[in-house]
Amino acid sequence: MKRAKPKRRARARKPRRPAVAPRQDALLRLSTGIAEAEGETDVCRAVVGGLYGEALGYDFVAVLLVDQASGDRVLVASEGWKQAPSGLRIRPGQGLSERPLLDGRIHYTPRVTEETRYLPTRNEGSEVDVPILANRELVGVLVVESNRPDAFDDGDLKILAAAANQAGIAIGRARLLRAERARADEQEALRATMADLAGRLDLSTVLTAVLERAVRLLGVSHGELAIYDAAAEELEIVASYNIGRKATTGTRMKLGEGAMGHVARTHEPLLIPDYHEWSGRSAQYAAVDFHAVMVAPLLIGGHLVGAIAFMDRDPARQFGAEDLRLLNLFAPQAAIAIENARLFTAAQHQRQYFQELVENNPVAIVTLDERHNVVSCNPAFERLYGYTQAEVVGRNLDDLITTEETRREAVGYTQQALARQAVKGISQRRHKSGAMVDVEVLGVPVIVGGKRVGLMALYHDITELLKARREAEEASRAKSQFLASVSHELRTPLNAIIGYSELLEEEALELGVPQIGGDLGRIKASGRLLLALINDILDLSKIEAGKMEIYAETFPLAPLVDEVTATVGPLVERRGNRLVVEGTAQTGSIHADRTKLMQMLLNLLSNASKFTESGTITLSVRRDGGDRVVFVVRDTGIGMTPQQMGRLFQAFTQADASTASRYGGTGLGLAITKRFSALMGGGVTVESVPGAGSTFTLTLPARGS
Amino acid sequence: MPRILLIEDNEMNRDMLSRRLQRKGFEVDMAVDGRIGVEMGRAGKYDLILMDMGLPGVDGWEATRQLRAAPETATVPIIALTAHAMAGDRDKALEAGCNDYDTKPIELDRLLGKMAALLPAAPQ
Repeated sequence: MKRAKPKRRARARKPRRPAVAPRQDALLRLSTGIAEAEGETDVCRAVVGGLYGEALGYDFVAVLLVDQASGDRVLVASEGWKQAPSGLRIRPGQGLSERPLLDGRIHYTPRVTEETRYLPTRNEGSEVDVPILANRELVGVLVVESNRPDAFDDGDLKILAAAANQAGIAIGRARLLRAERARADEQEALRATMADLAGRLDLSTVLTAVLERAVRLLGVSHGELAIYDAAAEELEIVASYNIGRKATTGTRMKLGEGAMGHVARTHEPLLIPDYHEWSGRSAQYAAVDFHAVMVAPLLIGGHLVGAIAFMDRDPARQFGAEDLRLLNLFAPQAAIAIENARLFTAAQHQRQYFQELVENNPVAIVTLDERHNVVSCNPAFERLYGYTQAEVVGRNLDDLITTEETRREAVGYTQQALARQAVKGISQRRHKSGAMVDVEVLGVPVIVGGKRVGLMALYHDITELLKARREAEEASRAKSQFLASVSHELRTPLNAIIGYSELLEEEALELGVPQIGGDLGRIKASGRLLLALINDILDLSKIEAGKMEIYAETFPLAPLVDEVTATVGPLVERRGNRLVVEGTAQTGSIHADRTKLMQMLLNLLSNASKFTESGTITLSVRRDGGDRVVFVVRDTGIGMTPQQMGRLFQAFTQADASTASRYGGTGLGLAITKRFSALMGGGVTVESVPGAGSTFTLTLPARGS
Repeated sequence: MPRILLIEDNEMNRDMLSRRLQRKGFEVDMAVDGRIGVEMGRAGKYDLILMDMGLPGVDGWEATRQLRAAPETATVPIIALTAHAMAGDRDKALEAGCNDYDTKPIELDRLLGKMAALLPAAPQ
């Protein structure tokens, strides 16, 4: 031991050898003291108290125990030197008292002055160092000194060995007892934490409780707990224990900042011997008074939810394996608490979200149990049917909003939805007032965890929609009717114009005044064009109103083609064109609307002849695989650009606005052809190269659509 | 000279067609509606009847059925005249008992061809 001689208390000289009786008295005193001791410190005091005194003639008695973490010998109890304070530490490699710890044997040093490597300040005297074994482990040293050299004999050594032996047994017992208590405390703390987690305490209360329990078990001065905010990539301190004057709660740290930020990144616990000397310390913790720090990440299934830290203001306190073990008991608890709170909040938000969705939905929504009784409904349902939720809950939905006429259908929907099929339909339902409401109904089974628990019905109010549709249909019908009657009214005087001009032409010829025949011919031609236009408009309006009917019959194609070519012949020849017909001999019969097929072919051929001069117009007919008939009208005329082709089949559009005046025609022929062919289950396509002619292909099913 | 009965309610159509037919050598009588047409047809021993289908009151189809039902006119050729070439009109007319069918506006040559096919011997 290091000590300064002047500070030592002067002692009276005693007999060289004490009697046997005082030794037995000392041992008895020591045993009694140990028996009454609680904890290892008391045991050490009892040992020291038993050995020190006039009777045995020892000048200094001390017990030093080994600190597991540092290996230091720590003075626990001593007598004979007031300056030797409890807690005094002797580092490994220093002092005579280390020797028993190295070899497990008693060391007697008759003249300490000869042991020069130790204590050079000491003048004279002798010393005995006795190992203390507890549970077969060297736990400390009993140090006894005399101011005189050669002061100890065998009797002394025996009694000191016996004292150390008793001390070891008692310390072992005390330690077992302490471990037992610590385990009991741990169990209690864990049980309390579990109870907190199971209870409906708010997160901050639970975390504060977890932290305080951990701090108590670890026996440290400070603790902190932070939650990880993944969105901000920051840790926020939500619970703190005894840190400085100002609570650190609310402090935020970036990933990587300080000890918590460090473990948040590494996902590994971290032990820091002295925070002030640690290079990673955070500026936010510059003024703290702690030294050793132990931090651990809080993880759930490998993802970070927070961090927990413990610190101690005692510079001698170092964290070790036992501390980590305790930390590992509490960290998962805190992590679970945080995760539970997060899941609970998320579930609550989700629930709120869906509730808002239903509450504010303009569609009437009602949920039913398996017996068709209402479980809940939303405000839109209340508005649509005039019932409040309180009036409908528990009642059979069909009783409330169906009539005799719609009940069967409604029950059918419900059954189908209960059979796990979504069902949709348009129907009427009854308002509380008895008025009927047009609705679109959607029934869907509600399946939770694979089990059907009921169904949900959605009603979309389509009263206005249906009204608008009826009005639109009415308007469309009126328009078609109007067009039909206008067309009829126009046709009658036109027939007269055409007929009388023909009559006059004939009479002019008979009367020998052919010069007026030309003018009459123009009147007649204009009349016929006007008539064709009216007929086309009527056709289109019928198609658009869905009123164009198809009268299919089976007839041979060859005579039809003959009739078409005969009709279109004069028109083709007018511009010096030649008409070539190909392939009609092998085409057989077709089942189609003869009048419309003829109209389509005439349209395509007259179109071709309009835009071709001194060229060839070819009509070819062939069967395509037996079930389709293909009519191709090819010309060597002016052709079209892709842009012109795009507008080709629209009503009232000729490829060029100027073409109508140059080439004549109603501009409706191709639009009608396209719609007729579609009505008959076929189609018409065009290919063209500007300047090189166009090819129209009309395809129809041979056996009708 | 073949005797033709033209049943047509529109005055101008009636006038026009009758004059053109007369010029071609037909003797043409005229009726202004279906009821009168049927009466005249049964009484007049006509070689051919031209029947407008869109007549007021008794329409062309009904008048045709009545003429076909009467023994005097059961076999007299009837050509239906309809306003617009409506698909189905032809079937409907043939079904009612007409022998043929033509559309307005009348193209005289076409009509004459159809008439010639139904008359026992060509006029002139």
